[in-house]
Amino acid sequence: MRLLTHNYMQSTVKGTERGYPLKIEATKIEFEASPFDAEFIQALLPKIDYTTLLFALKQISENGNADLAQTIIPELPESIKEDGEGEVDEALLKKLHTVMFDIHVVEGELVCPDTGRRFNIKMGIPNMILHADEL
Amino acid sequence: MEHHSEISHNRYNVLIEFAHIHLEFQRPELESVLSLHDIAIGRDCIEVPLPSSIPTVENYRPFLILSFDYHYAKEKFNLDDDGYVIQSDMSRFSKIDRTKPTIASVLSRCTLIRSAIELWGAGPSFDSCVEHARQLSSGCAGRITLENCMKLSSSWKITIHTLGTKFNREEQNDMRMKFAFFNLPGKVQMVNPTNEFLLIREVELDPKGTPLSQERDNFLSPPLAVYYGRVLGGIRDWRGNGRLDQFSLKKRSYLGPTSMDAELSLIMTNLGLVRNGSFCFDPFVGTGSILLTCGLRGGYCVGTDIDIRVLRGRSDEENVLSNFKQFRLNRPDLIRSDNALYHRHYRMNKPIYDVIVTDPPYGIRAGARKSGTKEEKIRAIPEDRRHDHIAQTKVYPVSDVMGDLLDVSARTLVMGGRLVYIIPSMRDFDVEKDLPNHECLEIAHVCYQPLQTELGRRVVVMKKVKEYDPSLRESYLSSVWINGPESAEKCANIRERLLEAAKLKPGYEEKAAYRKKRRQITREEKKKQRAKHV
Repeated sequence: MRLLTHNYMQSTVKGTERGYPLKIEATKIEFEASPFDAEFIQALLPKIDYTTLLFALKQISENGNADLAQTIIPELPESIKEDGEGEVDEALLKKLHTVMFDIHVVEGELVCPDTGRRFNIKMGIPNMILHADEL
Repeated sequence: MEHHSEISHNRYNVLIEFAHIHLEFQRPELESVLSLHDIAIGRDCIEVPLPSSIPTVENYRPFLILSFDYHYAKEKFNLDDDGYVIQSDMSRFSKIDRTKPTIASVLSRCTLIRSAIELWGAGPSFDSCVEHARQLSSGCAGRITLENCMKLSSSWKITIHTLGTKFNREEQNDMRMKFAFFNLPGKVQMVNPTNEFLLIREVELDPKGTPLSQERDNFLSPPLAVYYGRVLGGIRDWRGNGRLDQFSLKKRSYLGPTSMDAELSLIMTNLGLVRNGSFCFDPFVGTGSILLTCGLRGGYCVGTDIDIRVLRGRSDEENVLSNFKQFRLNRPDLIRSDNALYHRHYRMNKPIYDVIVTDPPYGIRAGARKSGTKEEKIRAIPEDRRHDHIAQTKVYPVSDVMGDLLDVSARTLVMGGRLVYIIPSMRDFDVEKDLPNHECLEIAHVCYQPLQTELGRRVVVMKKVKEYDPSLRESYLSSVWINGPESAEKCANIRERLLEAAKLKPGYEEKAAYRKKRRQITREEKKKQRAKHV
């Protein structure tokens, strides 16, 4: 599961007031570099929730594989600054790309911030299926 | 001597030859691939009628002539096709060259195109083709085209393409000599010449694509048309090789009974306009065959499915992810979720997908399921067993599968983004009324692929044309089927109708008994295997 995907996942189990964003308890993280396209990332920015991205990154850095966190995961600023033309500095775009696309949570759990309902992640695949009584 | 005066040498003309399959897909695929380069037939080039020795040809002709204004072509394409071979085997299938591409590289993305030539002469007869070719340098475009071939270092050869008729070596050479007036410098080279010229003698084909008999009373029937031109793509035989290697796709490690045949998924991703950086989504990803093609075309891939077994595959070496790895693609994001509850699982503030391309479960090979239970009373699952509990699923009527698919697409596609899906069709199918609708989506193409006499499938391409209003979801869903349940019936009950149709055919009983026996054998084999490993 990439952090980009996590950005729009939520829990709407019956009775949940606010099931977003989901907490990430990762037990295994992998890194896989992918081709960077500045234009693509720039176009993607308005569509993601940046606060959630920062939140997810913090979760990963705290409890993921410590070595991985140190060497590869970049730091992101509190907010994104655009220049006069609404463009973001390329170095920052690269970091954003790495955070959104290259970090994979392979094993772990997503946890609802409200009810604590856990969704497991195995082989990088989160299981979001709700049980009949949760619909 | 007749001239086909509509093919003007003042313009740059390209003859396209299609393969004789998936007839309904050919033009939509070509139009889609051209639109990736912002080329529209009618606006940026025109389609010229084919020359013909017969006034009305009923059968399909696998040729198309596109005519470009020369200056437009010069600006848009790299016409100095020096025939360099594109090295990397995968990148040529995905990269849209933002600088000037060659025409060959643009067209080679079309699965259904066999060849394309720079047209130097064409006519309803051999002689008229030769005569038309003689006029080449009289046009401003033709003159430059010819000059480009006058490079001293160029080697060349002429290949003759005659369908349904055999000509001996002498006859073939005679044909070649008729074009000797071009006086091309450089030597004739049979293997890998700089320029290959193609002389095509078109004959009428029957509906299956076989040439109609060419001999009548010992006389050879005249051709339907004759074309002469330079093969685009230069040195290597681009014909067929520019296409994504379907055979390597067939070798992928993880295949299931519902895996899309390689060719169709290639066509679907073209119809969806998948390109480098396209955000692609398959809500019924299954074994991931379509998603894989999106990945090969440079898309960023997301797939969901309700069936965890399909997602996880048979083993670590045989699953959706291993297929992507095999082709050295970045892994797709896979999520186990229920498309009927998309809006429950995902919070989408802004539409995010460029392309949604999928083969929905329609009850023929894989039954569709959604969350929920058949039981009246819903029991809560005890806390300690929740984690591993496989949630019960119930059957998901095909009419709802389609309704939800359109609604999710309307909600999550960017404006102008495309939905490409397959819907099974029996013969009694009204394209106007029996396809699902959505206020936010407009139909761009519908292509029919016959599978059996009774059953075929249609690939439907829709475009998002209107912004989605979440408060109108119920209203959107209730208007999906114009003819109400009747239309949904048509694709929903395909399985039963297929079975009924099959039962009426001779040999059905035997075939069914045979299949049952085979299944039994397989089950027993598996039991033995498992017993061994214990």
